[in-house]
Amino acid sequence: MRIPQAVSVSTAALAVLALTAACGSGGSGSSGDASSTIVWDMWAGSQSDIDALEATLEIVRTENPDLEVELQTAPWNDYFTKLTTNLSSGNMACVTSMNGQRLSGYASAFEPLTDADLETAGIDPADFTEGSLDIMSYDGDLYGIPYDVAAMMVYFNKDLLAEAGTPDPELDWTFDDFEATAQGATTDTHKGFAVGMGEFQWMALPIALSGKQPVDESGALALTDPDFEAAASWYAELVTVDEVASPAPSASDTGWGENEYAAGNAAMAVDGTWNAVSYLDNETGFAAGMTNLPSGPAGNTALVLGSGYGIAKDCEDKEAALKVLGSLVGEAAQDEIASSGRSYPARVSSQPLYFESLDESVRDDVQAAFDAAFANVEGQRSTSDWDQVNTALQPSLVSVYNDQATMADVLAQVQQQFGQ
Amino acid sequence: MFMTRQQASRGRGRSALSKVESRQALGFMSPALVGLALFTIVPVGLSIVMSLFHWPAFGDRSFAGLGNYETLFTQSPDFWPALRNSAVFTLLYVPANLVVALGLALALGPRIRGRGAFRVLFFIPVVTPIVANALVWKMLLQPQGLFNGVSMTVFGYELPNFLADQNWAMIMVVVMSVWQGMGYNMLIFSAALEQLPAPVVEAARIDGAQGVRMLRSIVLPMLSPAIFFATVMTVITALQVFAQPQLLTGGGPGNATMPLVQFIYNQGFRFQDLGLAAAAAWVLFVLIILLTAFQFRAQKRWVHYEH
Repeated sequence: MRIPQAVSVSTAALAVLALTAACGSGGSGSSGDASSTIVWDMWAGSQSDIDALEATLEIVRTENPDLEVELQTAPWNDYFTKLTTNLSSGNMACVTSMNGQRLSGYASAFEPLTDADLETAGIDPADFTEGSLDIMSYDGDLYGIPYDVAAMMVYFNKDLLAEAGTPDPELDWTFDDFEATAQGATTDTHKGFAVGMGEFQWMALPIALSGKQPVDESGALALTDPDFEAAASWYAELVTVDEVASPAPSASDTGWGENEYAAGNAAMAVDGTWNAVSYLDNETGFAAGMTNLPSGPAGNTALVLGSGYGIAKDCEDKEAALKVLGSLVGEAAQDEIASSGRSYPARVSSQPLYFESLDESVRDDVQAAFDAAFANVEGQRSTSDWDQVNTALQPSLVSVYNDQATMADVLAQVQQQFGQ
Repeated sequence: MFMTRQQASRGRGRSALSKVESRQALGFMSPALVGLALFTIVPVGLSIVMSLFHWPAFGDRSFAGLGNYETLFTQSPDFWPALRNSAVFTLLYVPANLVVALGLALALGPRIRGRGAFRVLFFIPVVTPIVANALVWKMLLQPQGLFNGVSMTVFGYELPNFLADQNWAMIMVVVMSVWQGMGYNMLIFSAALEQLPAPVVEAARIDGAQGVRMLRSIVLPMLSPAIFFATVMTVITALQVFAQPQLLTGGGPGNATMPLVQFIYNQGFRFQDLGLAAAAAWVLFVLIILLTAFQFRAQKRWVHYEH
């Protein structure tokens, strides 16, 4: 009689143990023992992305032989959902990658970096492109170190332009030139331009035209600023009035403009410098070119964007994490990123390697375009719910492009929802 | 005296034995119980607690009472549209799915040669990954897609931009969902049709019943338990719809096709407001329970279980 009882109790105990063990192994984030593993969380969409990150990881391991470092990845589209889930379960990775545009929503989860921290990590802010630390700053605090800097550019399809007999856009062009090119390149078979759905894929041109960011100097949402609203309406009219761009077919086509351009269905599109190499090597096989955003009566307003790495607030081994951070944005890792052509590095000394990785035939053009795109860039202003603002805007853009709502109404509606 | 004492001791013995047995039973059950508790009961309980708190994905939580529910019903700009969209989707999808599935099951009746192959064909959309289905439908429906291409070349008529048009988007989500889901109900109806009691059918035939009369008075009443089961399950899946609008229309244009579950997903994982998401999930739960209870009540009027 005692044996079955013992069996029953031990079965229950075993079951509990097995389950808790199973749960425990899921969370390998910030918790750990003394010889803890530092987890580096990063987005990666394909095996080649992961291979490139593994190469960087090797550099970090070589530079920190006494530390255990692990890489954890998720595709870009899922990365922030996964990060949110990790945050709510207290499993944020010690070294977490963050996109500058999204930092505002996650800033409270990151540890603000002090000068002493930078010293521990072996980072000298002067080594990085001017203004690039702003990418990883929010509300006056520095939350991470950028590994790349980016600006929005206009990409064009040289073959389609030649076919339509329209000259290629030149550096430092104007909005009149832009309209003329878009109109000239629009034919029966393809459009001269493709409108964007992503935040800066569509906002870059209205910002450049109006000289105003949708967030004002005080940090308040300013979607209904008359200048910005007028410029945004002009942008929508490229589809509805001028018909130089096709309307997006669905709100789920979040990369509409870029995909149309990459598929060779549109002669021009706006995208970040981060995609320069993939457009140059496009699978469709057209000759790609690039130039900076056009300038209008309000000048040439462009934003500096980028991504970086920060330290989780609840990281237990902050010093080790700082060392990993230092290696991740260190010279060797930045050289690696630059010479693979994957990103335009934030570290000034590594930047020339990026252009050296390009084919000689396009190298000078790309470098000139980058120089023009990064000249006079200003930091992007953000609100704490900036990501939500874009989530709310995006599905409504489809209605605007399909002429079922006006840009002014949509902006006013979102401003009202998030403006307080 | 002796008898009672014996009875008493036997009673005591039995209760001691049953105590041991129930303890042993508990031992055997405990793995399943622990699983149930960990993966079902605790999360369900936690979601009630969550719905009563301001519960951001990270940062400080604070008790909100019924504040989240109040926000949902009075302030959230998307909640009522999401409820409306779920209702519209359910009202369009459930009847369409049942009629199409029943029609297919009847059409693929016993006299059709190769009906097994047809059934497999119609069942394929149920088992193919929904992402692939949605991508194919998107390619068909977009302005550069097949439908508009055919219409332009054959009739010279430009079709609307289905997935971006406020009125058409929901209809197309329903059409794609019916195509995706009809095979499952068709299989249920087919199985029920094969089991129609021959004597009843034969008696009806001898009485001269044919065609519509046969369908209305014999086949449908006999099928009613299967139809009831299919209706209950389809209503539940319709209220839980997420993948089709998420992939096909992204909930847009605007919020024209965003159902309740997508609203919950957006609140929880994109806006990081888990409390509000949990509250909306409980609204959905109550809705499903009420509708299902109503259907079980109403079945007495139209479901015939006797053969």
